[in-house]
Amino acid sequence: MPTFAIVILVLFSAVLAGVVVVRPAITMSRAGKILAFGVFFFLPLFSLVAGMENQMQRSESTAFCLSCHVMEPYGKSLHIDDPAYLAGAHYQNHRVPADEACYTCHTDYAMFGTFEAKLGGLRHLYIYYLGKPPQPENIKLYRPFNNRECLHCHLGARSFEQGATHNADPATLPAIKANSLSCVSSGCHDTVHNVGRWGDKVKFWDGGS
Amino acid sequence: MRPGDLIGRRLRVAGILVITGLLVEALCLVWSKPIAFVVLVCIGGALIGLGVLFFLYSLVSAPPHTTSSSGSSEDSL
Repeated sequence: MPTFAIVILVLFSAVLAGVVVVRPAITMSRAGKILAFGVFFFLPLFSLVAGMENQMQRSESTAFCLSCHVMEPYGKSLHIDDPAYLAGAHYQNHRVPADEACYTCHTDYAMFGTFEAKLGGLRHLYIYYLGKPPQPENIKLYRPFNNRECLHCHLGARSFEQGATHNADPATLPAIKANSLSCVSSGCHDTVHNVGRWGDKVKFWDGGS
Repeated sequence: MRPGDLIGRRLRVAGILVITGLLVEALCLVWSKPIAFVVLVCIGGALIGLGVLFFLYSLVSAPPHTTSSSGSSEDSL
């Protein structure tokens, strides 16, 4: 449900509840009782669930992740004009949805991946508002990046399965698929965001959204 | 205090809680900061939940309906 529709629903519920608060005598009639039940029970709970669902979806957006100051350099890295930068190359070529770029790569594609990502987000909020957030260049992953997240899209793709480097050694492809040879930290695709190590020569692409 | 007044007062309290919670939720929906979700759940959700519970309590705690001529049949809810 779009945000504006939920806001209208919430305000409509509040106005109806206000009518009952101002004139409780209307609950004497059967219709008034039904109205009271609707505005004091059904509509508030429905509005709350709809609002929470809306917020949960919003938390998956790139703009949401980048609204924390410490994430700004990571958002900037998506616009680096260099195909060697993995995150930027995926973002600029829409290999991941541009409006959900962070969430697409940083959520485990496992049974409780989404739930874990939301819990991680709550921890980030706690640190951001009540703790001491680290400098952007000092932010690390909680655990090594799992190839499963890459293979969610690349597994079976011709460019991956028949890539020259991937097939130079017959043991490489099985090792990648078994997650024993990391895609991003074994010297192959290890230039991801590289925040704090850009240098002066890096250029930025100003297109996209 | 007449039973009707008591129920009416409880309805008002429940309504004010629900309305406050809904207004907090509306603000959070147009607020783009990440903390909006926490405010929505912790404050808006708590207010709405309390309001709903208080409304249900006002229903179950209502005195039995009587049809005497004292006017109690006109009590709200």
